[in-house]
Amino acid sequence: MSAVIKFFSRTHGKNKLSFIDWIAYLYLFLGFLIIFLPVLWLLLNSIKSQFLLQKLDTNLLPLDYDRVVRATVFGPDGKEIFIIKDLPDWVIYWNELRDEDKKEVNDPNLFISKFEGKEYYALRTHLGLVSDHAKELIEEKNFPEWLIKYPSMFPDAKKEYNPEEYLINLNEEEVRLLSEFLGLKPYKPNGFTSQILISAKNKETNEIEEYSVSRLNTNKDTVNARLISNPQGGIVKIPTDDIIVNKKLRPSWINYSDPLTNNVRGMSFDAIKCLNNSVFVTIIATIITVLINSMAAFALSKYKFNGQIIFFIIILATLMVPASVLIVGIFKMVSVTGLNGTLWGVIIPGAATPTGVFMLRQYMLTIPDELLEAARMDAASEWSIYWRIVFPLSLPAIAVLAILSIIWRWNDLILPMIAVSTTKTAYTIQLCLLDFQGEYVAQEHYRLAMTVVSLIPTTLVFVFLQRYITTGIANTGIK
Amino acid sequence: MATLELKQVRKNYGNLEVIHGIDLFINNGEFCVLVGPSGCGKSTLLRMIAGLEQITKGDILIDEQVVNNISAARRGLAMVFQSYALYPHMSVRQNLAFGLENLKMEVDEIDKRILEAARLLRMEEYLQRKPGQLSGGQKQRVAIGRAIVREPSIYLFDEPLSNLDAELRVATRVELKALHARLGNTMIYVTHDQVEAMTMADKIVVMNDGIIEQVGAPLELYNKPSNKFVAGFIGSPKMNFIQFDYLPNSLKEIAPSNSTSLGIRPEHLSIKDENSLSLNVETVEQLGSDSFLYGTTSGEQKISIKLNYQTDIQANQTIKVGFKLDDAHWFDKDGIALTS
Repeated sequence: MSAVIKFFSRTHGKNKLSFIDWIAYLYLFLGFLIIFLPVLWLLLNSIKSQFLLQKLDTNLLPLDYDRVVRATVFGPDGKEIFIIKDLPDWVIYWNELRDEDKKEVNDPNLFISKFEGKEYYALRTHLGLVSDHAKELIEEKNFPEWLIKYPSMFPDAKKEYNPEEYLINLNEEEVRLLSEFLGLKPYKPNGFTSQILISAKNKETNEIEEYSVSRLNTNKDTVNARLISNPQGGIVKIPTDDIIVNKKLRPSWINYSDPLTNNVRGMSFDAIKCLNNSVFVTIIATIITVLINSMAAFALSKYKFNGQIIFFIIILATLMVPASVLIVGIFKMVSVTGLNGTLWGVIIPGAATPTGVFMLRQYMLTIPDELLEAARMDAASEWSIYWRIVFPLSLPAIAVLAILSIIWRWNDLILPMIAVSTTKTAYTIQLCLLDFQGEYVAQEHYRLAMTVVSLIPTTLVFVFLQRYITTGIANTGIK
Repeated sequence: MATLELKQVRKNYGNLEVIHGIDLFINNGEFCVLVGPSGCGKSTLLRMIAGLEQITKGDILIDEQVVNNISAARRGLAMVFQSYALYPHMSVRQNLAFGLENLKMEVDEIDKRILEAARLLRMEEYLQRKPGQLSGGQKQRVAIGRAIVREPSIYLFDEPLSNLDAELRVATRVELKALHARLGNTMIYVTHDQVEAMTMADKIVVMNDGIIEQVGAPLELYNKPSNKFVAGFIGSPKMNFIQFDYLPNSLKEIAPSNSTSLGIRPEHLSIKDENSLSLNVETVEQLGSDSFLYGTTSGEQKISIKLNYQTDIQANQTIKVGFKLDDAHWFDKDGIALTS
């Protein structure tokens, strides 16, 4: 321990920091920042709420703002925009809550019963009560079953039904409820968005007033804001320097817990399955890569045969071929051999890498031929010369190749897309991450969190294998 | 226990022939040293015997069996390499066991042999160490031990002492000789050091440019070199050669016919008038027990003299040196020794 302290507290100057020490520390610190800042950014962004990510928030920390709600209610009188203040957190963050948390918090039915009119309609939509209430109504009135399925029907199917006739005998409230549920004009599903609450001086009245803002970009000179006391009054521009914002630290752990517990709305994300597939591909592919490459390197470096140079040049030449050129060829190969849709289709096409062969060959050239001759005198078979002499002596280079292979395989997106993109059960973690970017929904908060999760294994492997590189070098006895 | 016979063995690298038809017979239990200047093909010949190098023509017979197409592993030989070629990732014990494991030997027998070899070579205390943690002399022992545990019929040594310092080399030389006496196996030893050859060999094979110049016991080579190359190669300092034309008339008269040069060893020259040459001394080296004189005689023929006493002769002095006629070697124009 004292040796460690001594090591870290060593200085160039005697007992104090000299100019060179300062430069060295500065350099190390800068290097550390350059490497570490992007990682830190990813880590901290992965615990930001969906709201913050959608607002393209640039803070490093997950600082959430005071929020208000901007509601849009559609009715016979047209569109009405207004702002609801002083809602409890659980209502504002309703969409960011886990299902079990939703059950724990206050009863939404009870909560909205305190409101009436447009606020009631907006909250009913936001808290997801429209369909519940509408279904109750349909049952109560003994309306036909298809009404319940109507909102999720295709437009062609909808033409066969006429829901309007059921509205005739209902009162105004019931008409609104059923129309919102069925999406009938002039009613539409009500809008309900969280916005940022800021305070600023009103230019006309010279008083501090509250505004709601949909996006805060502090790099711009002005902020587009809506006066809360007069929401219909339109957007005003407020100088960025004049605004007052309240922030509080509010990490969003559901980014992690939802996908890990397969609790993502609108899609099925099986983290365990994805990680399992990736681990399988990575481990098996790395073992095969190391074996095949080291055997090829052994033959190229330790045997003399006709066409040796030609083979080596051909192997190296494949380094010049860009991977994207090979996509179609690999796809055909994989489908012809029936490997598509299986993880073997991901593993086998990339098993031999020219880089690995080249690296290991160059390393094996440094192993003296006398060792192999000694082994031959010792009655070793060619296989046991490879397996018991050359392979262990090449361990430092093999460890490097193994690390590279693990990182390549874990991060690979192209091969899995070629081989298993049609088979959901064989998705590797990278394909699974891609799934969060749907055609209509982008769930970046889940994607960032799961990216962090997907980084853990490679990081661990690297930390772990690095130890083996050093011991590998020490054990070879090469000075 | 085995004999080794080479019959017209040749080796080509492409069109270049490096071994030009070697015939050699090595008796059971003999310590045979292949000696020659570097590049003379002695190591190549040893590797051909070992089976590490294909032979182009001829036959190699071990115990009267032709082994040309038998692999190195199955010839029943063991080799000690110049660089020792210990497996760096294995402990000493694993190094010794490797060859035996490959022969599918039982574990008890392997342990027994390793212990025996370790006792014989006094390396019990570092059986668990890796080669990187051993000194040069210890590595040498392990390399020899690896040969011993195999219990081969013939031991092959490829300049095994050249990586040791001078003192250790002398000690190991003596040990190897003792080991040979104890084991009694046939051993073939390659070196470029004539002292090793002279001290250890039962039989010395002097090689030059891929041919055998002379085969014989050490003293036979010293006393009766069959040609100028062997005469010059064996003995230190080198034998003096004087061209016939520059000899005094008295010597020309007693020379055998066809002589073109006279060879006389530095230690056989002394300061006297009989059979004498006139020598202009250029350098004098005094070693205490011995004195070396270097100079030129008529016709700029370089001469060195070894005296086994301290002398007061100075540089630039002209002296008369003579020798006994029995010690003179006469060579014809092809360098073949003539009998006087």
